[in-house]
Amino acid sequence: MINKTRLSEWGGLVLVWLAIVALFGLLAEHFLSAATFTTLAGRLPALAVIAAGMTLVVVSGGIDLSVGSVMALCGAVLGLAVTQWKWPLLAAVPLAILTGAAAGLTNGLLTAGLRIPSFLVTLGLLEVCRGLSYAVSGSRTLFIGAGIEPLARPLPFLGVPATVPAALLVVVTAQILLSKTVFGRHLVAIGTNENAVRLAGIDTRRAKVTVFLLSGALAGVAAVFAVARLGSADPNAGTGLELAAIAAVVIGGTSLAGGTGSVIGSLLGVLVIATLEAGLAQLGASEPLKRMVTGGVIIAAVAADGLRRRLSADRD
Amino acid sequence: MRRSASGWLWIVGALVLVGGCTKPPQEQPTADGKPAPPPKPAKPRVALVMKSLANEFFGTMAEGAKAHQAAAAGRYDLVVNGMRNETDVSEQVTLIEQMVARKVAAIVIAPADSKAVIPALKRAADAGVLVVNIDNRLDPAVLRETGLEAVFVGPDNREGARKAGEAVARQLSAGDGVALIEGIPTAFNSQQRSLGLEDAAMAAGLVIVDRQSGQWEMEKANAIAAAVLTEHPALKAILCANDSMALGAVAAVSAAGKSGQVLVSGFDNVPAVQPLLADGRLLVTVDQHGDRLAVEGIETALAILNQEKSPADRTTPVDLVEGQAAR
Repeated sequence: MINKTRLSEWGGLVLVWLAIVALFGLLAEHFLSAATFTTLAGRLPALAVIAAGMTLVVVSGGIDLSVGSVMALCGAVLGLAVTQWKWPLLAAVPLAILTGAAAGLTNGLLTAGLRIPSFLVTLGLLEVCRGLSYAVSGSRTLFIGAGIEPLARPLPFLGVPATVPAALLVVVTAQILLSKTVFGRHLVAIGTNENAVRLAGIDTRRAKVTVFLLSGALAGVAAVFAVARLGSADPNAGTGLELAAIAAVVIGGTSLAGGTGSVIGSLLGVLVIATLEAGLAQLGASEPLKRMVTGGVIIAAVAADGLRRRLSADRD
Repeated sequence: MRRSASGWLWIVGALVLVGGCTKPPQEQPTADGKPAPPPKPAKPRVALVMKSLANEFFGTMAEGAKAHQAAAAGRYDLVVNGMRNETDVSEQVTLIEQMVARKVAAIVIAPADSKAVIPALKRAADAGVLVVNIDNRLDPAVLRETGLEAVFVGPDNREGARKAGEAVARQLSAGDGVALIEGIPTAFNSQQRSLGLEDAAMAAGLVIVDRQSGQWEMEKANAIAAAVLTEHPALKAILCANDSMALGAVAAVSAAGKSGQVLVSGFDNVPAVQPLLADGRLLVTVDQHGDRLAVEGIETALAILNQEKSPADRTTPVDLVEGQAAR
């Protein structure tokens, strides 16, 4: 799937990102500083891994609206394990990721098994997991502190926390999974025409369950990243995160109709959204302005992508 | 199932609409676990209508009220209601209407919006229900306009925030730059806390170099704090309108390697900030005794219902909680 078109798409997104960086560089006094970019790097991992999972789901023609709530639930479980049960991180982190995987498995089994549209199943899980997050945390923010903060501390030489290379590894792995494996080809085929795949004698259910399981597990990974950065588990975390992830995926060139997309593109989409957020905050923009600009940029980025695609199609 | 992108958009739109209209309000049964029986004049039924029970502050408030009712079960019945979404005013209006339909004697309400719930409360009052306003004060101008009489029992958020701001100012000198991380801009208590922080900053000659809304959320406040720290390298303090946002700001200050150089203040005194108060990363917070707030409102309602007291507003205490670094 990584061909010339894909590369030009990624190049286009990098240009959009550079334009945004240049604009904020002009407008804000200290935007073009090392601090801005290390902060940005620290913020990217959580959304990047969630967007990676979302990309695979969307390519398969589905959608996962539960990611934000699942992330909050996993964070709450992580917080509880460390603060109340005194588990070591080496046990608590896998537990958080397993919790996400369990939520994802539920999404997948309900979607594939009962043939309910994933939109509705994951909308249901969005509510259920938010409720569970409040229930397990007693609606309380759990402060973890020193136990988990090392994960978010900048690494020597790299200058960014360990979460950044970890997230990059996830993104690259997901991209390889999508473009180089049988599983990835199944996802694309299911997203293009599920009935045709089924008529060809391939059981689509396994791939569908797996893709939701991955998305859930990655929401768990994101929870670990987010909790590490904040030193606390917030049961309200990730509200509306599904929309940010979908926006990043769409900006990254993945079609909401399924059948085509790229994880690297989604990472660039995340970069665009996070940079926009950081820049607007550095400018001290008012809340109404932030929302209007962010919405406008999402539409503009997708529109520009559509235009570029049409132009290159005309040229061929 | 294959759908075109526009098909998805229609579904999203439709679900957003349906979700917005049909969210079932949460309702908790009375302490005895059964739906309350038809009203008996001897034992008034008091409805506590709050914002989100998922919010720690209101959760504490509800627990306090339930404990109070359990201890004084002979005196009144309690119906506790919370919303699903903190900012969804229409849901709270529905709750008010349901409580009137259930013929409660009094509604003790923490309004989701200081103006938008007033017409519904006015209808409740016209139906003979006593209205007691706790936590967030209803807008006096709109109260006058509609002719609704509602006793207010609650903390002075502006005063509380001013105390926090003053504690920060004591550590700084005139001309120092500070940033405000505000709550949801439409919320009255958020506005009051901003005003209180401004009062303190102005009195001490501090310069507010930036102010943005963290929407009461840790993650959003963290992003804003990180950006503000970068943009204003000489910043001396970040004043937050609640503790969740203060936790986010503390994490940003630590990440920027500026612990001790940039002070952080909060509001609410939740358990999660206790370790930060102890190690000095959070300078101060403010306790408005949420667990007592609903109880005070209920007591006021009962006193008025029993004609022991004439309706009068009451301010509940707000106390500064100083961390290790402030002492």
